Amino acid sequence: MMNGDFLALLPKSPFAQLTGAGAGQELALHATTVFAFHCAAGVIMAGDHRATAGNTVFSDTTEKILDLDAHSMMAIAGSPAVAFEMARTLQTTFEFYRRSQLQPMSLSAKLRALSKLLRENLPGTIQGFGLVSPLFAGLEVEDPHAQPVIHFYDPLGAQFEAATFASSGSGSPTIRSVLHFLEKWGNPRPADMTLEQAVNLANRLLMTAAAFDTATGGVHPDRRLYATIKLLTRDGIRTIPLEEHERYWQRADT
Amino acid sequence: MTEEPYRWLEAIQNRREYIKDHLKGATPVFAASRPEGILLLGVGHGQSKVFEIYDRHAFAALGHPVDIEKVRQSAIEAAHLEGFNRSSRDVTLRRLVGFSLSPTLKNSFEQIFSPPLIVESLFAELGETPSHDSLARLHFEGNHQYETGGVVVAYSDRKVEAEARAWVQQALRPEHGLRQVALVLLTAWRAVTTHVPFTSLAVDLGVPAMVEGRMVEVALLDRRAQGPVHYRRMDFAGLPA
Repeated sequence: MMNGDFLALLPKSPFAQLTGAGAGQELALHATTVFAFHCAAGVIMAGDHRATAGNTVFSDTTEKILDLDAHSMMAIAGSPAVAFEMARTLQTTFEFYRRSQLQPMSLSAKLRALSKLLRENLPGTIQGFGLVSPLFAGLEVEDPHAQPVIHFYDPLGAQFEAATFASSGSGSPTIRSVLHFLEKWGNPRPADMTLEQAVNLANRLLMTAAAFDTATGGVHPDRRLYATIKLLTRDGIRTIPLEEHERYWQRADT
Repeated sequence: MTEEPYRWLEAIQNRREYIKDHLKGATPVFAASRPEGILLLGVGHGQSKVFEIYDRHAFAALGHPVDIEKVRQSAIEAAHLEGFNRSSRDVTLRRLVGFSLSPTLKNSFEQIFSPPLIVESLFAELGETPSHDSLARLHFEGNHQYETGGVVVAYSDRKVEAEARAWVQQALRPEHGLRQVALVLLTAWRAVTTHVPFTSLAVDLGVPAMVEGRMVEVALLDRRAQGPVHYRRMDFAGLPA
């Protein structure tokens, strides 16, 4: 087996136990808000920290923006059990391919890999409890002129490139509306924003989404709680640290 | 043949000589544990000798390129399956070599009706500090040992290999930067390949002439790297002094 296909090494799909016969239906988590948009510095991907089951908030410290490798990341919305497993599978798949084939996997193949996992998860999607609707941001590493791109998926695995922004989860209608407005009439438009402006916009977007959606965890600068925000550029992925959030927020506030 | 024990032993002995004969032209590979990480070095004619295996693991080998590739793929598969099914912290050199690769190589060596794997190799695992690093030497017949002196060498002649390791251990100084460490290893590499005795060998801090025209492959399991991946290929000319 020398084709770099990690999934071929596994005896069965990693999701079979989650979605196969006898899988439980007690955990149904679909509410969240994640989004990504282009800015002048690269691609911003952001998400809240809340995980809910029905009306119950059971975590406000969940990380939903996950690095898959040095140049690709995924925002998860939907069933966390399946979504986290998908992210873990992709992390291993990308690194396995890079190490075994001595070259990085192409961006197209990475996009396809996520698509295949979503399709494999069809039973869980149809039954409702295993639905995942992720966002993906990546960059063609081998192309020196390539720019970061954003893709979004439907729960059955269809993949679409987002020219300017994409969002997913229960708070996404609010985010889409605001970003659409800003892209059309904003000055500057999000795509032209500096990193500082883009980070402040992302935090404000989540505050707005949380105002209309109980399942979206808000941003609370007074409690030093900000969104998870990551920036993808040719240099790789950088998580915006708390101090940087605070610095940007205070400057925008004054 | 297998019904007659002495013929089986003879076949094994022939096999051993066949492998050693094939390894004669190969040149050694090195790994040295340093404060910056574990430096691996090999010199070749275009075929790679130094490889990444997993987040904190690397491998260097000499032998037939196809067989090196087989061992490399086996190591990568075993490490990734373990890392996926358990966690990256559960991927350890001791388990990888002792329970996966060593038995495979032994079986391959003793299957006298199939071609043997012609490969001598070393493995490195990065720890939090140099004292937590693990270095292992894996032989073509599955024998393996863990090195505790911070240096491991893989070569076809075990006596020369031991001499080279001892010389490198005493030649390396705590104040040496990565470039000087690489030059010490290259000096040993040149002594092995030109059959210069180690007893009077001095460290040559210039690039050995014999290396010119060949590819010096250097990689570092970088202790200071952020994130899970610690392996970095390095340009020899750009190594920090």
